[in-house]
Amino acid sequence: MSNQDYYVPHGTYWPIIGSIGVSTLFIGFANQMHGVEWGGSVMGLGMAIIVFMLFGWLGTVVNESVNGMYNRQVDKSFRWGMSWFIFSEVMFFAAFFGALFYARILSVPWLGGADNNMFSGATEALETSKYIWEGFQATWPLINTPGAVAQSGVEFSSGFKLVDTWGLPALNTGLLLTSGVTLTYAHHALRKGHRNALVFWMIATIALGVAFLGFQIAEYGHAYHDGLKLTSGIYGSTFYLLTGFHGFHVTIGVIMLTVILYRIQKGHFDSDNHFAFEGVAWYWHFVDVVWLGLFIFVYWL
Amino acid sequence: MGYIVIAIIVVILFSLGSALIGMVKGGKEGSEKMFKSLRIRIGLSVFLFALLMFSGFMGWIEPNTTMLPTQ
Repeated sequence: MSNQDYYVPHGTYWPIIGSIGVSTLFIGFANQMHGVEWGGSVMGLGMAIIVFMLFGWLGTVVNESVNGMYNRQVDKSFRWGMSWFIFSEVMFFAAFFGALFYARILSVPWLGGADNNMFSGATEALETSKYIWEGFQATWPLINTPGAVAQSGVEFSSGFKLVDTWGLPALNTGLLLTSGVTLTYAHHALRKGHRNALVFWMIATIALGVAFLGFQIAEYGHAYHDGLKLTSGIYGSTFYLLTGFHGFHVTIGVIMLTVILYRIQKGHFDSDNHFAFEGVAWYWHFVDVVWLGLFIFVYWL
Repeated sequence: MGYIVIAIIVVILFSLGSALIGMVKGGKEGSEKMFKSLRIRIGLSVFLFALLMFSGFMGWIEPNTTMLPTQ
């Protein structure tokens, strides 16, 4: 098996179980949106089937790998698969960062009357705000968003309180960066074959990730309490989309690191063969960099 | 100050990309390249964070919580 060029996988039932899971999830979701009583529970069932499929399918792959059924060609295809997944992730976050930059650099200043755009014309630069929302102040963060249009003119919502950069966001950045350092130590230990150090640094990394998530939930609580919501105009929606999807990725990262730790405990990986660790490590470093970008562009610059 | 921050971010992204290339390559050599690149990326990130905190503390830069006109 290990000498042939192309690895031909055996027949398996996991794909059809995945399809059943996804279909169940969407049937539940659609009915939930129509206010059908059983919608939510069917969604939960669909999710459970998907999780069962993931553990079953990936577990099979892990067992095949540990039993030496894969050759170099399969190893290569795993690496390429991971890189395409990463490409899609980079594009995903690029879209949300793009939305943030577009709003800050282009659309909000335009509404305030900046530039020679289709609303204003070069000579009467301040016309934009006059025709669309008179009295619109182009600031970032955009605290005062135009609210409901009354007969007499435009009302501005009084906005929200901003999250203090020096508080939880700075602490969370410190936590996540520290987890990047501990993961690097774990990586080093794995390459040198130091099993105990590897386990220690992996546990530290996971603990820091969980702490980050806890503080992120606390920060959302504060922000929401101070009136910052998804509906709080462009600042609120970009803030929650970026930090929310980032938090979701940290959650996935913590789950993957935990699986890797479990595999380490079972004696998988050696100093030369540990692609699963490399994939997860890269993912964690990526999520770390995304946060650094968020911290700088949402809270500082 | 903003340009320094952005320059460091670009180098961080570059080393992350270089780690990815190492990972796709695989083998002893690729693995080595990946580890070294990731080490550079975490080192620079920690440095950038420290720089931001220090500059903010010294008052060289202001957090975004102070509202500024965008124009």
